[in-house]
Amino acid sequence: MSTDQQDEQGEEDTLVNVADGVDHQVAMVMDLNKCIGCQTCTIACKNLWTEDGGSEYMYWNNVETKPGEGYPRGWEDSGGGWESGEHSDRSPGEIPDEEDYGRAWEFNHEEIMYEGSDEPLRPRDGAEWGPNWDEDQGAGEYPNSYYFYLPRICNHCTHPSCVEACPRSALYKRQEDGIVLVDQDRCRGYRYCVEGCPYKKVYYNTVSKKSEKCIFCYPRIEGEGPEGETFAPACAEECPPQLRLVGFLDDEEGPIHKLVNEYEVALPLHPEFRTQPNVYYIPPFAPGQHTEDGETVDIDRIPRQYLRNLFGDSVDEALDTIDAHRQRVRQGGESELMELLQDKNPAKQYRLEVFDDE
Amino acid sequence: MADHRRTLTLTAVLSALIVVSTVAAPMVSARPAHEIPVSEVSTADLAEPNADGWAEVPASDVPLSSAPSSVPNADDTSVEAVDVQAARTDERLYVRLEWHDATRDRNASATREFADAVAVQFPANTSSRPPIAMGGPDNRVNVWYWSGSTGTQELLAGGAGSTTPFENPTVRTNASYTGTGGNATWAVVYSRQLDAPSENRTDLRTDGDLDVAFAVWNGSNGERSGQKAVSEWHYYPFSGGPQGPPYETLLWTLAGIAIVAVVGVTSFGIYRTRGAE
Ligand code: SF4
Ligand code: SF4
Repeated sequence: MSTDQQDEQGEEDTLVNVADGVDHQVAMVMDLNKCIGCQTCTIACKNLWTEDGGSEYMYWNNVETKPGEGYPRGWEDSGGGWESGEHSDRSPGEIPDEEDYGRAWEFNHEEIMYEGSDEPLRPRDGAEWGPNWDEDQGAGEYPNSYYFYLPRICNHCTHPSCVEACPRSALYKRQEDGIVLVDQDRCRGYRYCVEGCPYKKVYYNTVSKKSEKCIFCYPRIEGEGPEGETFAPACAEECPPQLRLVGFLDDEEGPIHKLVNEYEVALPLHPEFRTQPNVYYIPPFAPGQHTEDGETVDIDRIPRQYLRNLFGDSVDEALDTIDAHRQRVRQGGESELMELLQDKNPAKQYRLEVFDDE
Repeated sequence: MADHRRTLTLTAVLSALIVVSTVAAPMVSARPAHEIPVSEVSTADLAEPNADGWAEVPASDVPLSSAPSSVPNADDTSVEAVDVQAARTDERLYVRLEWHDATRDRNASATREFADAVAVQFPANTSSRPPIAMGGPDNRVNVWYWSGSTGTQELLAGGAGSTTPFENPTVRTNASYTGTGGNATWAVVYSRQLDAPSENRTDLRTDGDLDVAFAVWNGSNGERSGQKAVSEWHYYPFSGGPQGPPYETLLWTLAGIAIVAVVGVTSFGIYRTRGAE
């Protein structure tokens, strides 16, 4: 129990902790057991928000294979976040370079389409690293190799070190829903937010010379579209296996609150950065290891320590809870938790209008 | 006879010293430490950093040190001094800054790239001296900012973090980078009309001394925002009508000649007295 996140959850009162000055807090739960690594979320986001000059290299939503270097390469060791749970001292971070993000490659479309070349379609040169370069590589030895996919967006943290890092207060946490935004008029391209975010989820636009980040599709959740209808963020709505729940952390009737605060099976990524993320993950289950003869044995295929490194020590309890509920259902019992994890009703999956009347 | 020759030599050396010191005086010792002279010129060939006009304008070597700031690595700045020249016509103030920087950083188009930059700071309202670090809420500053990547900006600030650009900059700049390695320098010339172009902009027709401060950023050292080398407040002596440097020099030269004459006459008197013995 080392982080304040866990401490708060450890307390039995139901008061949900949202940041000072914030009315409600948007949140997302992603069930990693359902992700097929299709990158539909990545492309949905890219088509919506990062197609203009200077943002080619940006993926506000990315999906990386774990274990793996991630995007940008080595982001987990790039610093940022807070020194302690008091949120008074930030730990300094680094700005990744182009190679670590992966440059937008140029392909030989011209030659193939217009000049009759027989070459296969491929990047021209310099393709030595990219955002999804180590896809499916994972770790472990056959027959016990393993990997899983980790979709990542900005966590719209309760204690965002990106906001604190900006000497101009260009980044801020919206009062109505805790979405973290960059005020493009105030930003002067200093990139302290880029280095200060331990998740490396703020990006520098090399043309506008200002920082940009995931906006939790706020125009969609505000119903800014033609029909005036509310939509969840595109990464969630477009996901084929529909593994994302979207709503408010402090909506005590919603599935997010139940999964995060009641059952404690949805966990923040790298709680030790102490920014208190509001994106939560159902940790991945994997079959046990196999012997050379193909027998299944009772040894975790994904080393438990690896999962603790990603999700903190609470991952043990979370996995145990899910396991217990699985057993119960298998034996003909009932489990609200299992229902929550399997629910396919969008009305429950996306609860974005619960506070509209306030 | 040998005595006489020694006396004559001594007199000559003394006279020469006095002339040198009196002429040199207005250049150095007579000027208060934080004063930066402003040449009054009638026509200006000063817009470019390498314009001939600048050869006639005295330069002040202004020391710089890391600004106190809460941004990471605020202590890590690399530029230690900036050469400042200033000249004023009836219409415009020209300020030329020159400093050493071994790398020419004109781009901020890669994630880790920062551009070299320089700034001149004036009180927005010249009647009182604002806090040196970007002014204060009731006591704002105008900043003439030039960066290798974005060019010129005219800024208004009332405390750290409050910097806001004016929509239509009226400050003109020209920059040049010359030399290589340790001898490489940036030179940037700023100019602006003397009349305040709008509210919240410094009136350069002021009769009083005009406070001024300088800042330099070395892009390749990751310098930006509060990680910058800054000067203390200096001032341009605009006060007191026709007491500009040329008049002062004239006065000192006259005084020097008078002293030389007195010494000369005295020596001659002594020589005559001794010779008569
Ligand atoms: S994930 Fe990073 S960018 Fe997003 S709110 Fe947290 S600290 Fe800021
Ligand atoms: S769209 Fe869904 S399944 Fe596909 S990569 Fe994204 S989160 Fe995973």
